[in-house]
Amino acid sequence: MNFFFRRSKKHPFNSRTNSDAIFSLSSAYITLETKLGLKNTGRSAVSMKVVDGMYFSDMKEDIQRFLDASKTDFDLRYRTLTDSYGYLWVIIEGKHMEDILAGVTAVGDMVEEKGFSDKLLAAIFEFSSNIENNNSIQYLIYNYKRNNFYPFIPTGQKNRDTEQEMKILSAVGQEVKFEKDMAFWYPMWDLPL
Amino acid sequence: MSSISKPAWQKRDTGLTIRMIFSFAILTLLYLIFLSVLSYLGIGYIPIIIIASAMILAQWYFSDKIVLWSSGAKVVSKEQEPELHELIERIVARNNLPKPRIAVIETNMPNAFATGRGQKSSVIAVTRGLLQILDTEELEGVIAHELTHIRNRDALVLTLASLFSTVAWYLMQFGFYGGMYGGGYGSGGRDRNGGGIMLIILLVAMLTWVISFLIIRAISRYREFAADRGSAQMTGKPVKLANALLKISGTMKRIPTKDLRQVEGLNAFFIVPALSGSTIGNLFSTHPPVEKRVQKLMEMEASMS
Repeated sequence: MNFFFRRSKKHPFNSRTNSDAIFSLSSAYITLETKLGLKNTGRSAVSMKVVDGMYFSDMKEDIQRFLDASKTDFDLRYRTLTDSYGYLWVIIEGKHMEDILAGVTAVGDMVEEKGFSDKLLAAIFEFSSNIENNNSIQYLIYNYKRNNFYPFIPTGQKNRDTEQEMKILSAVGQEVKFEKDMAFWYPMWDLPL
Repeated sequence: MSSISKPAWQKRDTGLTIRMIFSFAILTLLYLIFLSVLSYLGIGYIPIIIIASAMILAQWYFSDKIVLWSSGAKVVSKEQEPELHELIERIVARNNLPKPRIAVIETNMPNAFATGRGQKSSVIAVTRGLLQILDTEELEGVIAHELTHIRNRDALVLTLASLFSTVAWYLMQFGFYGGMYGGGYGSGGRDRNGGGIMLIILLVAMLTWVISFLIIRAISRYREFAADRGSAQMTGKPVKLANALLKISGTMKRIPTKDLRQVEGLNAFFIVPALSGSTIGNLFSTHPPVEKRVQKLMEMEASMS
């Protein structure tokens, strides 16, 4: 009962707020470039908990079919993989932020349409710093459950550059829905992007 | 002119001056009302003033020694702590400030404070723990924050402000004992209702004390923001002070290290942080919440780039 109730009631509303929040990156990525010199690498990903069973594998095939079909429209490349935590990753690469965002939100929408919205974990967007002597890879992580973004900058073995993360917060904290409580800035180590 | 292009936090802080005058006006008024109530009730306030002034003078004159002694801070020479001395010399030279004395407290709790009567006799004390957990630029941010306290004469301001609450506290005690022994110093003719009068004095004193206590805390919180802003101006790197604050407060430890994929199943996203923004707590504390300070510092950082 609860399952059906959630599906019918929560997901249409959820889907819209998720997409809206993610689409706010279409202007914020420019801010990141002008303020912090961060360039979007064009790599992004959606991750979700794998569920055993036909419905989930059907959905995965639907996503692949959709991305195959929209290759020409959106100029996107993609691949899928399952990581050691048991999460399915749909990794999308493109040249234009608008296309990437369209691809990422479309994948999210499809997952929700199939009733797996509670399995959606995060959407990840990769940036690289082009300031001299700082060639780090930096991420914005969108948490589907919290419906907001937070920065993640891994440095070496399980360390992160909190200072640069806070600069990202100050640069785009108003422009995108941002996670203000740092206790929720969960890292994602060894991202398969 | 050039001030138009400057972000707001780089301009002169007129708000601080206005608030100080305003706060002192209120405090003085409270004090005067309190004294007139006392004199109306027939208590000789001259002895009270003499005692209070003596206390304040002593507190003022010995303030740095009292603070250093009670905190266990030891003044260190340049030979003992060359790096710390050089770091502070760099900042004071750049900002044309007199160099304060420097003290170190041998404790692992990261903290720092400034004390002293005037610009020249001031002392900046840092704990060993602070020196250990902060990097050079973060330490500069903290030192510049304390130097701003000195430049703004915050120790003087707070000593003067606490004058009122000290006096009120003293009178509250006085009124309490007076009430217990039925009249105390009250003139002989009023013995019959001396208890009632003492009760009124006690209530007025308590009220004065509570209000001035709250005002002092408000002043103190505001001056913390002012010192953060001053630090940002001196170093040009508000993010470093923000980082230092997060480290000192232990907030840095709240940034999780566990992978999102590991905690996802634990429903960790629905835990409401307990009492994070309690307004009662805010009212009584001398320092604004770290999140607020960090947020303001990051706004300064954002306005710089």
